[in-house]
Amino acid sequence: MANHGRRFSDGFPNSAATIGYDSAMKKHIAIVEDEPALRENYAAALARHGYSITTYGNRRLAMQSFNSRLPDLAIIDISLEDEAEGGFDLCRDLRALSAELPIIFLTARDSELDAVSGLRLGADDFLTKDVSLPHLAARVAALFRRIDALRRPDNAAEIVRRGALSIDGEKMQTTWNGIPVTLSLTEFWIVHALARNPGHVKNRQQLMDAAHVVLDDNTITSHVKRVRRKFQHVDAAFDAIQTVYGMGYRWVE
Amino acid sequence: MSIRFQLLIVALTTLVLPWAGCQYAGELEIALRGSQEKSLLASAGTIANALSAQPQRVFRDTADGGGTGSAGGSGGKPEFAASQGDLYVFPLRNQPLLDGYREDWDIAANPTALPTATGYDARLQAGSTERYLYLYLAVDDPHFDAEPDNPRPSTDRFDRVNVALRRPDGALEVYFFGTNAPGLVAAQSVVTGDDGKDRAVEEPRIQAFWLQTSRGYHLEARIPLSFVGSRVWVEAVDGRGDAKSGTTPAEFPDGGRLVFTTPGLGDLLATFIRDGTRATVVDSNALKLGTAGNLNANPQGGAEEPEEIWYRHLMAVDTSQLPLRSSAADRLGGNSVAAALAGRGHAEWVRGGADQELQLTAAAPIVVAGHTRGAVVLEQAGDQLLALRDRALTRLFNLTLSATALAVVIMFGFATWISLRIGRLRAAADSAVSSDGRIRLDMPESARADEIGALSRGFERLLVRLNEHTQYLRTLGGKLSHELRTPLTIVRSSLDNLESEGLREDQRLYVTRAREGTLRLQSILSALGAAARVEESIKQAERVSFDLRELLSSATAAYRDGFVQAHFALETPADPCFIRGAPDLIAQLLDKLIENAVDFCPAAGTITVRLQRSQSSYVLEVINDGPPIPEALLGQLFESLFEQRQGHDDKPHFGLGLYIVRLIAEFHGGKTRAANRPDGGGATFAVTLPLI
Repeated sequence: MANHGRRFSDGFPNSAATIGYDSAMKKHIAIVEDEPALRENYAAALARHGYSITTYGNRRLAMQSFNSRLPDLAIIDISLEDEAEGGFDLCRDLRALSAELPIIFLTARDSELDAVSGLRLGADDFLTKDVSLPHLAARVAALFRRIDALRRPDNAAEIVRRGALSIDGEKMQTTWNGIPVTLSLTEFWIVHALARNPGHVKNRQQLMDAAHVVLDDNTITSHVKRVRRKFQHVDAAFDAIQTVYGMGYRWVE
Repeated sequence: MSIRFQLLIVALTTLVLPWAGCQYAGELEIALRGSQEKSLLASAGTIANALSAQPQRVFRDTADGGGTGSAGGSGGKPEFAASQGDLYVFPLRNQPLLDGYREDWDIAANPTALPTATGYDARLQAGSTERYLYLYLAVDDPHFDAEPDNPRPSTDRFDRVNVALRRPDGALEVYFFGTNAPGLVAAQSVVTGDDGKDRAVEEPRIQAFWLQTSRGYHLEARIPLSFVGSRVWVEAVDGRGDAKSGTTPAEFPDGGRLVFTTPGLGDLLATFIRDGTRATVVDSNALKLGTAGNLNANPQGGAEEPEEIWYRHLMAVDTSQLPLRSSAADRLGGNSVAAALAGRGHAEWVRGGADQELQLTAAAPIVVAGHTRGAVVLEQAGDQLLALRDRALTRLFNLTLSATALAVVIMFGFATWISLRIGRLRAAADSAVSSDGRIRLDMPESARADEIGALSRGFERLLVRLNEHTQYLRTLGGKLSHELRTPLTIVRSSLDNLESEGLREDQRLYVTRAREGTLRLQSILSALGAAARVEESIKQAERVSFDLRELLSSATAAYRDGFVQAHFALETPADPCFIRGAPDLIAQLLDKLIENAVDFCPAAGTITVRLQRSQSSYVLEVINDGPPIPEALLGQLFESLFEQRQGHDDKPHFGLGLYIVRLIAEFHGGKTRAANRPDGGGATFAVTLPLI
């Protein structure tokens, strides 16, 4: 393998020891980020959590590597060196290589449009760089947990049922009237937080906390909007998430 | 001064046209005068030449008493001298009555004084018809001395008038008049009888009328022309003393010449001239031999003359320095006559008559056999010229004044149009940048090809650049926030990593401080980017119809829980208030207004949320207790990044809250307004949202 990416599995002190996973069991995460300092910081933090990390500075190097071997998770920035939307292209190409590979966008761009585009291209989550490293690690872990849960079909773990809604906290799967609703991680946590206590108003801060993200009010608003739209896609009469102006949102049955 | 009046003044400079017209008319007049002089002089010359060819029709006395030889030798007759008793015979148009009065002679001139050495004043005038010579003599003699019956003329003393006549045949006849009673008298001659005594014999063909007056007597005598040759001597002798005046053949053998006008010369001259011209032939003594024509024979010109045309005063030709016409009933004077008699033709302008109107005089010499025997003098009134000039001037004035008026009107209209256009441009420039910082890019007049259009286009380019700059400034916050985000993330993620390295407690303190700093930085950046994000979410917002009243009541309930330090009051109409818009955005708008109000509301103060319905809109007001807003800031509060107000917390304020309010209000077609409460105890922020 060409010296395209830098592997953190062994290069970092404590990396293997701290987490205590067998190296063969180590999840392999690829970070595609053009800002070296940031890239190294993310890599170090995730390596500390026991992941094997490979970092890439641009799309070309990353794609070369992915063509020969796919990582277990890809964390991609949107703008990569001279390509303002190189991350989107990379996501599309990755999705073509594998329909199941979890992809997280981690970007300084926080506009609604970018989030929508990223999620539409098949990303599993869209995080802004405001997210802290522990949150990022938690996100990654949650995503891996969902993947693992999906691979264990006989799991009957925590399932929340609210009328037509059914949330599988283990697999992070949501269905409405039995029809799966594909939610991003953030969206899943928002729905999860609302549906667990129907009738309770959750303000934006609470929803952010639940989703382990630091987002501004607007982004929460647009996430909620997108969630509604996804549910309405399977049931046009969906009206379970209510806006309580000045406070937040609540789930009504 | 407005452009309009400046151009009006410029337009008034077209008044130079009439002025120039005056100058031109003045020059025209001078030129016309010159040509009139020439033509009149030429006419005079022509007439003079014609007359030269037939001197017998001009000069009655071709065989003068002194003989052609003696007269011709000195280049003319001896000078006419009244002191020698020379007498000009006025032509009489009518046969006068012999009554002692000469008023019926119709002669403008006064009788001339007879030479006297004794102070005995007598005045004599002569006139003639075709058949008679008339003499009129006025003598100042207070004492009447009657002629005795059967006088002895040589020795008797009485008031008598001696008349000596050189008969055509050269004989000298002497008569005297005297009377014992005023009235008709006959001339008497002294006849020496056979006895050696002289006695008076009446000559009945010579009649006179003796009229006694308070000053003396008048004698009007009639002498058949057959008696009269070329000379006559008249002498008045007082009856007492030796007072006398007049001439006698003995004293003045060369005097007493009679100068007759030439019969038929007037008719002859009349064939040469036109109306409005007077032709006069004078002899070498400038005495009139014949005249024809009338200066005022201009029947149509006289009638329209009376009104004084004011702009004559603008005329450049000054006539006040011209010489006065010098003429008498019997003779003509002036430079031109003198020049003609000296042998060369001459024309000049003179002032004459009662009004001193202009007259042109041209004189040409009549040369007979190499000698200047007289002159033809033509006179023409300047009135014709004046009338011609006035007509030209009047037309010129009317034309140029109309042109000036038209030019002024057109200029004024044009200037009005220009200043209207500039005014439109100015109004547009004034309002191009609105109080809320929005820039209008279209300017009026920019499609025009002229300088104002260019100016307008210049304005447009300026505004476009200004707009670009404003846009840049407006988006600067968002861009800055975006650009600073990555380095901030680097710092923060590095801190995260550092914390995971198992720090000592004292080290951890510094990391915590650094983290607090990054958090503050992050919230600042987040605020900076908020406007950009709001603008973006506005772009994607969907409009639905919703009840504003319900939104307000639910939100206000939430604020009561959220901000316990203030009291919230809600005033809404009784009915639902539906508007069309994005409820999320309206809620956000309300959030920002409430945050702003809470920042300035003192503890336990009241924040009132009021919704009112007006004709075409809903007015949403958030009114808080607290300090008033400085007047100067009222118009700028809704600007991006405007922050001058000091709230009572230490959160960073970038004034984006109210800017977001404005963005959302404008998205809904509404307006924002900030005002102080009339009582000065707080501020009102109002948003106007149109009805559906």
